[in-house]
This record gives sequence, structure tokens and C-alpha cells, in this order.
Amino acid sequence: MTRRDEGTGEEGSITGVPARAMGPLAMEKAALDDTSLVQETLAGSQASFQLLVERYEGRLFALARGYTKNAVEIEDIVQDTFLKAFGRLASFDHRSSFYTWIYRIAVNTVLDHLKRRGRSPVQAVEDPELVGGPRPNQSIAAPDAGLEREEISRITQEVLEHLPEIFRTTLVLREFEGLAYQEIADVLEISIGTVESRLFRARARFKDKLLALYPEFGEELGD
Amino acid sequence: MTQPCDSNRPLISRYLDGELLESEAGPLRRHLLACQGCRTATQGDKALRRWFQAEAQVPVPQGFAARVARLAFAGAVPGDGAASPAPSRPSQPSEVAATAPSALRDERTLPFVLRMTAAAALLLIVLSGFLREGNIAAVDDLSADDATVPTLEELDLMLERLDETAPVPGAPAR
Repeated sequence: MTRRDEGTGEEGSITGVPARAMGPLAMEKAALDDTSLVQETLAGSQASFQLLVERYEGRLFALARGYTKNAVEIEDIVQDTFLKAFGRLASFDHRSSFYTWIYRIAVNTVLDHLKRRGRSPVQAVEDPELVGGPRPNQSIAAPDAGLEREEISRITQEVLEHLPEIFRTTLVLREFEGLAYQEIADVLEISIGTVESRLFRARARFKDKLLALYPEFGEELGD
Repeated sequence: MTQPCDSNRPLISRYLDGELLESEAGPLRRHLLACQGCRTATQGDKALRRWFQAEAQVPVPQGFAARVARLAFAGAVPGDGAASPAPSRPSQPSEVAATAPSALRDERTLPFVLRMTAAAALLLIVLSGFLREGNIAAVDDLSADDATVPTLEELDLMLERLDETAPVPGAPAR
């Protein structure tokens, strides 16, 4: 599982092909495509903006799904994200990739949307120590094979709702969006070290909360 | 030993996330073959990740991109009142009212509906209170010439007299 080994068709790249699997020329072409579409949109091409939306709508829907299960809310969040992006397109300076830029807008839009709905995500500052850190004698079991996919998703969402926002967002970007550490760092405008730290703590929190809510999924470690 | 090595524990997450270079992953794989603690930690991390793999794909509504592009060029703004789009565009018929996000509709109409419902309920309560107090005369007794409205006691007297077959004041002759 290294960057050079991956070549699957997993989600997480500009054109559906893993960014890490694309060669430099392909990545350059994809980046130019976004740049061209942005320029054409700014010139008044509705079709070009529609292409941009089509390119990223799936990924933004998946991102919003990490925060709410309500289909109407998801659609509203993604629509608002694209409308905001359209409104700020003239100020997009291409210092980051378009998809990093729109992800950033999407994360902020999701959080704003939840606050407006009276469902503020749990806020917490970075813990100086792992609060409720990994229980040394208990691990977490994988979802039971007998559990329905929907039930697993419901449980995961329930646990995520208990996480502080910074941890939840990092987990969503990594686990649901498949973003690389550098991509997460670009979206959230933090360092890679902070990404690693947050991911580690987020996973520990997730595990502890899952075990607190559903102790049946715990597994005792042998000595 | 079931505890992972301190030095290798951070590498396990990066390894599973595909963030290690081959030069780092190779030695870690060899270490995992020899270290039970790190192998256990790796299995635990893998199990945790499987909780996220069940996340269902979110279907994108048909025509979503076309609708959003149309809204954008028609001058629609997102729910938080972001700045109007800067790019120049040909004039488009306004479609905002017909296609406003349901969230915007809900936020504006729901409080209004709730207030109107509360006002209607209050009005009904007040009206029913008036009716119970008997301040509204029976339809048969209403007359443009009526100068006074009988009190409750007077009405009771009238009813007693009726029982005694005495004529009710103001009632049509039988």
C-alpha cells in the first residue's frame, strides 16, 4: 500500500482516476481542463460551468453525506457550494487546484448549513493529550458480516456526530473522500503533520465512542 | 507482546492510508511479520476502516448540474447570501423563484406558517371562551330591537318559566 503501488479505480481524483496513479502529463492535462473550464465560465459559458459541476458533484455529495443523511439537505449543501464557488470564481487564483479550492468551500458550507439548522457540530480545541485514547486492552471489531450496509452506515454516522468537528471533518475527507494527507492539508489549510495527528486522534475517538455506544463491537486483546 | 512498538505505531496508519514510500513500507512489512503487537494494531486499524467502507453511494439527482449552472447564471445566491456572480453572461430569464432551494423556502415559510397557526389557535380559544360565557345570544332570539342581552341568571329564569308554560319575553307568540 504505497503511493506507487496504487492503481485502482478508487475515487479521489480530479477525473475519477486516482491522482496518485496518474502520471505527471495526465495530471497536468486534468489541471488544465479545470483551468480552461474556469476561464470559459468567467467568459460567460454556462456549459463550461455545468461541466465543472458534473466533474465534482459526485464527490461533494459524498462529502455532504458524511455530515447528514437527509437527501434534501445534501442536495442543498452541494448546490450552495457550487453557487458560492460560482460567485467567487473571479477570485480563484489557481494557487491551489480547483478541486482543493471547492472542497474547502464545501467543508465550510456544510458546517454553516448545520449551524443554521441548529445542529452545530461538536466543537473542541486540539487535545493536549488523547482524551479517551485507545484502550490498550480492547480493540474494535470490523462490522459484523450480518449487519446490513444501511445499519453499518447508520452506526457510523451516529458515532461521527459525537466527534468534535475538526476530527469529523478530517475523517470524512480521508475515509469517505479518499483524499491523501497532502490533499487534506491543502483543503483544511493545515500542515501534513497536523493532518496525521488529527487522523490518529479522530480514529481513536471514533473507536472509543463506538465502543461506548455499542460495546458488543469490542474485542479483547490477548496478552 | 500485544502492544505495538512506539516507533512503528505511527507508521501503521500511514501504511494503511497509502502514505508510505516503498522505502518505508518494505521495512515495516518485514517488521509486521515479526511483531505480534504491531500486527494486532494493524488488524485493529483495518477493522476500524471497514466501518467507513459501508457508506452508501449518494446518487446525484438527474439534471443536477444543469440546474445548478442555470441557477448560477440566473443570479441565484446560496443560502448565506454570498456575493452575486462576477462573470459576464447573456441575459437569462429569471428562474430563481421557481427553482429556489427547498432549504431557502423552508427557512422563510416555516416560521411564518407556525406563527399563523399559533395565531389561529389563539383566536379559536378566545372565540370559544366567548361562546361558553353565553355573551352571544341564540340566533332565534336575535333582533334588531334588542337593547339588552340577558344575563345567565335571567336566562335560567326564562327556562324555568318555559317549563311552567309561561311565555318567554321576546319570543314569538305560540
